[in-house]
Amino acid sequence: MATLDLIGLTKRFGSVTAVDTVDLTVADGEFMCILGPSGCGKSTLLRMIAGFEMPTEGDIRIGGESVTPLGANKRPTAMVFQKYTLWPHMRVFDNIAFGLQLRRLPRAEIARKVEEALALVSLSGYEGRFPSQLSGGQQQRVALARALVLEPKILLLDEPFSSLDAILRVRLREELRRIQRRLKITAIFVTHDQEEALTLADRIAVMNSGRVEQLAAPTQIYDNPATLFVADFIGAMNLLTAQVRGGQIALDGVALDAPDGVRDGAVTVAIRPEDLALLPDGDHAGAWRASVEQISDLGHYRRAILETPSGMIKIYLPKTAAAEEGSAVSAFVRRYLVYQDGAPPREVTRPLPAQALTV
Amino acid sequence: MTTAAIPPNFWTSTRRSFAATIRRDGFGLLAMIVLILVILGPLYSVVLWAFAERWQYPSLIPTQFGLRYWGETFSRADILRALPFSIVLALVVTLLSAVICLPAAYAFARMKFRGRQLLLLSFLATNAFPRFGLYVSIAVIFFRLNLIGTVQGVILIQLVNTLLLMIWIPTAAFQAVDRSLEEAALDVGASPLRVFIQITLPMVMPALSAALLLTFVNTFYEAQGALIVGLPRVVTMPVLMYSLINSQLVVQYGAVVSFVLWMPSLLLLLVANRLLRGGYLTAGFGV
Repeated sequence: MATLDLIGLTKRFGSVTAVDTVDLTVADGEFMCILGPSGCGKSTLLRMIAGFEMPTEGDIRIGGESVTPLGANKRPTAMVFQKYTLWPHMRVFDNIAFGLQLRRLPRAEIARKVEEALALVSLSGYEGRFPSQLSGGQQQRVALARALVLEPKILLLDEPFSSLDAILRVRLREELRRIQRRLKITAIFVTHDQEEALTLADRIAVMNSGRVEQLAAPTQIYDNPATLFVADFIGAMNLLTAQVRGGQIALDGVALDAPDGVRDGAVTVAIRPEDLALLPDGDHAGAWRASVEQISDLGHYRRAILETPSGMIKIYLPKTAAAEEGSAVSAFVRRYLVYQDGAPPREVTRPLPAQALTV
Repeated sequence: MTTAAIPPNFWTSTRRSFAATIRRDGFGLLAMIVLILVILGPLYSVVLWAFAERWQYPSLIPTQFGLRYWGETFSRADILRALPFSIVLALVVTLLSAVICLPAAYAFARMKFRGRQLLLLSFLATNAFPRFGLYVSIAVIFFRLNLIGTVQGVILIQLVNTLLLMIWIPTAAFQAVDRSLEEAALDVGASPLRVFIQITLPMVMPALSAALLLTFVNTFYEAQGALIVGLPRVVTMPVLMYSLINSQLVVQYGAVVSFVLWMPSLLLLLVANRLLRGGYLTAGFGV
């Protein structure tokens, strides 16, 4: 249990910069997700924290002390890998006990700790099995127990559930969160799965080409993506480019108010599908005239694709919303974000007109 | 053996399926019979000769069985000298080969360096050309170095023979060990040396044991190199067997020696085959 500080951390492989001057502070007991597309440098970042890669520049501090010169075997971190990494020639007990034996703990204490660790991951009684006798999910739980039994200051997880099927992934995710809360352990979880990051994390660091694009709580990342990359990467988003002239954003078929601080010139407007509402067909201020191109019923909500003068727009509707494919409607923009020249986005929300068909 | 365990229709059903097999796959059966004759035929004759005291034409089996020639063979001074010498020699060569080749195999598997692939393929060279020609040219060099007729000379030439197996099988085995398994051990606090001893080595052990066994067996039976470099002073069992077969009127000496030489290799090869189930051999040849 400790804080983690990354200071100007950089890793170059030849001419490729995998991680580019990352500064990051993780609080004691915090669950931090590092989220990004493959190749964004998130795994390299984690491997530097674990000690498998030496940083080209920068410093890693755990509990305020620099661990950068230490090898992986000397660091107070423990990792759960993406692949199954239980040692095939050892039984579950020996896999978990290995690190404790290296620390020369008394035999009885080792047995007790292994038993506790297995109970923690709900695998009591599996001590005598070989890894090949376990399912993928069980193997990853043993790997988690192997990491936790050492009581590391920082728990590192490198997409540990990505090779499991969807149902198991969700179950293990919840289990991991419960264990982390109970032990109050500082955890860094690397993933490319945004749903995983949004459900698990206290804070998310979104990475893109070696840099942290945004560091914030899940809701904030979703509601206020700091950059266009984050806006596009997290959740579904309608991104439209347009020109600002005289305080108006001129989109094809609709004009939206430009928020304060936005100058004339090119902007990108970002609209979440749930921030659109349907109005009866007709001319309304701040609404497109559109036709319903496609409707999919997704259980608790409906997803529609509208054809507007600005192109195809994605919109989420309550399951009670009456809309049919081919019908003519108007699409009202309730909330939008305006991005200009890499500056933080400006948010605009507008009251819903009375004649709205959906809430 | 419990005959009660055999179901009552066992023989009829077996006969029926056997007949079906012949009808379906006559060619396969023919091939099998030919192979049995070609492979087991000579073995049959050697085994029978080894236990024959008298065998007169036209009898299909020896006219008198017995162990007389076993006693006579093993009271020969040349055999009593050659047998222990051959065993020790094969052990020494295998050990030296391991000391030289295993670190090299680890390097081949784990390090990237220029010419790695070419070097790895170069170990095929000793097997790609007629062995005898190679040995004769080596013998010319050994003659200048005064290594002809010395134990050191025989050890050296037999080492050449072991390179391919002792490099390729362990290289493939080391390559097959997932690096993240080693990283996981490093992560829980094991030093690199401990990782090698407690994680890497146990996982490659079956393949290494197989390579050691095969090398021992190959070396124990190696005759050409030992013949060219070792004679006249150094005589190994296979070399002695050649001379017994070629120059003795009594067939039984050669037969007994052959039989004795087979047994250990047969057992060791069976063990090696079990150890190699992991597919290391095929992995090695797919470099």
